[in-house]
Amino acid sequence: MTDYWVSKLFFDLQQDPQLAAAYRADMAAVIDRYEIKPEVRKALLGDDVGAIAPLVNAYLLRFYFQIRGMPEAEFIARLHALKSGGAQAKESVSHG
Amino acid sequence: MASLVGIFAVSHGPLIAREWETMPRDHRDKLAAAFDEVGRRLNACKPDVLVVVSPDHWVNFFINNLPAVCIGIGDEHDGPPEPFMKKVYPHQRLKGHTAFGRHLLQTALDNDFEPALSHRLRLDHGTCIPLWRIGVSPDLPLVPILVNDLEEPMPSIRRCLAWGRLIRRAVESYAEPLRVAVLGTGGLSHSIGEPTMGWIDEKFDHACIEHFEAGDEAKLDAFLTRELPRTGNGAHEMRDWVIAHAAAGSTGFELIDYFPSPATLVGAGFASWKLPPA
Repeated sequence: MTDYWVSKLFFDLQQDPQLAAAYRADMAAVIDRYEIKPEVRKALLGDDVGAIAPLVNAYLLRFYFQIRGMPEAEFIARLHALKSGGAQAKESVSHG
Repeated sequence: MASLVGIFAVSHGPLIAREWETMPRDHRDKLAAAFDEVGRRLNACKPDVLVVVSPDHWVNFFINNLPAVCIGIGDEHDGPPEPFMKKVYPHQRLKGHTAFGRHLLQTALDNDFEPALSHRLRLDHGTCIPLWRIGVSPDLPLVPILVNDLEEPMPSIRRCLAWGRLIRRAVESYAEPLRVAVLGTGGLSHSIGEPTMGWIDEKFDHACIEHFEAGDEAKLDAFLTRELPRTGNGAHEMRDWVIAHAAAGSTGFELIDYFPSPATLVGAGFASWKLPPA
């Protein structure tokens, strides 16, 4: 389910290098400028890829963790750790 | 009357720019050779304007205002904003072609399509990696068409086929002599920011290529409509290939190269369409 405000935060961070710098300096202060739910705020502060992934577009998620400075290999590893039955089924699908 | 002089499609992907200098040499050479061949063919057809069909990667649009299709009709557009693009493609301004852009927009409206319009787009890596690698002159005027390939719900494959036919109709109804080329960008399979990230679905990619080669629009539509939800999210960019394909009359597909490119996370595809003499 799309969360508008966390999506907006990620979009703004991508659009505005000054905001991204401010975010790196004080994440909590920037998060508090948005109507972010407490559980999402906690997930952001904890770099909880699994909790955030269902809330935003997958491309925005990737941009966000680049801005956070997470190496892409680590980001991919954290995504792979989320593989559920559904995701595995997606990968083993037959395109007959 | 204007004429369609060339139709092409190529993959993009930010790692092509970000990792160009550091990826394995043989892999880079393979990518370069395929892009170069597309560039050779594009330059040989001497276009006056290039219609580029690409997604917008959250650069111009957000979920508070997200068009399914937007046509850039300005006489100038902004170059890519991504920092990794500035090193390889430092053009801050790109030429637009207002006259043909407006004609395409009017043709769309006259045929019951309702695209968004923009007098100035920012053209991200989806447009500019192909322009950079193919070697398109920054002086060649563009008519960008941005298609929502990223956020569901997206335009149907059926509608993308109709968009391709509409581009052809707009070219054929343009009164001035103008050599128009079309470039679709994106695909083939890839998976971005989801639990399957990095997955290149070669089976899907080969099936796509077979459908383009066969040229049966109904079967292509049925295949992509059924399979796109089952493969990586990046494959939604095949809409841009479908538009190029239908602009060619859904015939004449010629694969230049395809290979899985784990270094850039995409199933890398490069194609052109043979056109009847204008």
